[in-house]
Amino acid sequence: MFKLLINQKPIIKIMALTILVIVFVLPLFISSPTVMQILILIVFYAYLTSCWNFVGGFAGVLPLGHAAFVGIGAYTSTALYLTYGLSPWFGMIFGGIVAAIAGIIIGLPTLRLRGAYFALATIAVGEGMRVLFENIERIGPFEIRGPKGLLINLVSGNSFSHFQFSSKYPYFYIILIMLIFVLLLTYIMMNSKVGYYLAAAGEDPEASESLGIKVSRYKLIAMILSCFFTALGGTFYAQLMLYFYPKSIFGLNLSFEIAFIALIGGRGTILGPVLGALLLRPIGEITRIYLSSSLPGLHLIIYGLILVIVMRYQPRGIIEPISKLIKKYIIDPFDKTQSGDKESTFIDNK
Amino acid sequence: MISYVEALLNGILMGSIYGLAAVGLTLIFGVMKVINFAHGSVLMVGMFAAYWFVKLTGVNPYLSLFVVVPFMFFFGYFLQQFVIKPTFEAEKNVREPITVIIVTTGVWYILDNLALLLFGAEYRVVKTSVTGNIVEIFNMYFLLPKIIGFGVTVLVGIYFFWFLKYSKMGKAIRATSLDREAASLMGIKQSKIYNISFGLGCALCGVAGCILVPFYYVYPTVGVTFDIKSFIIVVLGGLGSISGAILGGIIVGVIETLGAQFMAATWTELLVYIVFLIVLFVRPSGLFGLKQDF
Repeated sequence: MFKLLINQKPIIKIMALTILVIVFVLPLFISSPTVMQILILIVFYAYLTSCWNFVGGFAGVLPLGHAAFVGIGAYTSTALYLTYGLSPWFGMIFGGIVAAIAGIIIGLPTLRLRGAYFALATIAVGEGMRVLFENIERIGPFEIRGPKGLLINLVSGNSFSHFQFSSKYPYFYIILIMLIFVLLLTYIMMNSKVGYYLAAAGEDPEASESLGIKVSRYKLIAMILSCFFTALGGTFYAQLMLYFYPKSIFGLNLSFEIAFIALIGGRGTILGPVLGALLLRPIGEITRIYLSSSLPGLHLIIYGLILVIVMRYQPRGIIEPISKLIKKYIIDPFDKTQSGDKESTFIDNK
Repeated sequence: MISYVEALLNGILMGSIYGLAAVGLTLIFGVMKVINFAHGSVLMVGMFAAYWFVKLTGVNPYLSLFVVVPFMFFFGYFLQQFVIKPTFEAEKNVREPITVIIVTTGVWYILDNLALLLFGAEYRVVKTSVTGNIVEIFNMYFLLPKIIGFGVTVLVGIYFFWFLKYSKMGKAIRATSLDREAASLMGIKQSKIYNISFGLGCALCGVAGCILVPFYYVYPTVGVTFDIKSFIIVVLGGLGSISGAILGGIIVGVIETLGAQFMAATWTELLVYIVFLIVLFVRPSGLFGLKQDF
């Protein structure tokens, strides 16, 4: 955190700190649980997308089955909790480890596939997981209950060890801290050997392979990180909703949504996923709440239109024009030498 | 024993229709190197077009082919011209454009939900003279519309092969899919070929739509089932290979119906994914694909 801030210009330090303070104080002014729920979901999707970003953003491939790992996280921690009463905080770690192992098993053969093939393989993995969990009633001592899903029994009041809280605020701060942690990790990875190698591999796999970079090894590292943290998000989701079933947590919709937020925000950048979630989630939630009964499907039409329009005019995501504007008007308002087409991302300006 | 043969033949009947839809996907991939994620939705549009045409005019669903197929051709032609082309132009030199995949997914969302908004979520079926008719051959029972569908598929398939192999347009399409630059140097207008290939891919969805409506339910998200199946089929057969797509379709159809003899029908879905992943890992170029393509 400190290294991140020290390297920046003063104006960026001030901006970053202001944003952080606003985000932490914001919930104190909100009393509506619905608004809180929307805020939590925005941060939650920003978190999932940031985890996706390790693979989808930096390794230059397009995973479209990340719901598989959300589901693994949710099912592992909940099954351990329901069967042995293990606190979800520990179950979370187990879920992460199981997902990381699954990531290795899936990643070893798939990560050498090219773009479209990789995307299709990950869809098959995600959908395969859904079908699998819809069909099994139990694994060993663990009750899975097929399509009926799992229900976490409610404990009364706040209980940190049970990961259950009567108000929405603790959930908000937990997922916010998780998001900040993953963003920091992204920053560290971007500025490390792994990050540089991945960037090179994403640009041109053949050339980097010929320079002696073990592309597949670094892609696998990214995959493991991504799967581990995605699964933690799965546990969070399970504890927030207290009920989930295969279609809700392994669904193609969730996998696609994660990828779309990243693509619209700007994949391969630190703040792209956050921006994407800030733009797409409120639109999704508000149109769903207010329009879904009178005009079914409209919110997804709007979604699709945004996708088509952004990809048409800003294929690298909306972070690009926004960071340009910030740079032009806030960071260097007097810089005459700066030309408009300089590539930059807002947090990388050293 | 006879039930296995019956399941096998039923799998071939249904699989050929899957294959027909997948041929459109593989054609578009072969020419543009773009996976059209909206393909299932295009099939849904074809099914709805056939449904409404039959419902409003009362003609035989197989006659609606002559209206629905041209309609779907132009639907695809203009979809490519106005929606997909602008994005595609920006990254046409990339070997496997990713942004275009996202745009086609956006089109998928728009089409599916537009259908939901306009027609509602209920399941519809076209009642015709052939619906529900069962044919008995050697103690085995087949749905008549499936048999007719198989016949139409074979005819369209043969015509399509002939078209690609011998017609001037077909040759231009094949040339573009082999080498874009060389083909355009020979005076083939690339963007026109893209539009026409996309239109043809959608027209094949129109054919599949017309032969599906007499026995298959139409609803806004019907495309999703066919979408994922089509992806699996084209990868099984090898992306860009027409004969591979038909064979892949039959393989998937047979796995589904024959698998259902041994296990619960919901498990066969998983079986299809597993077969798909195995083929992908062992032979990413598919059964008929070119080695360099993966």
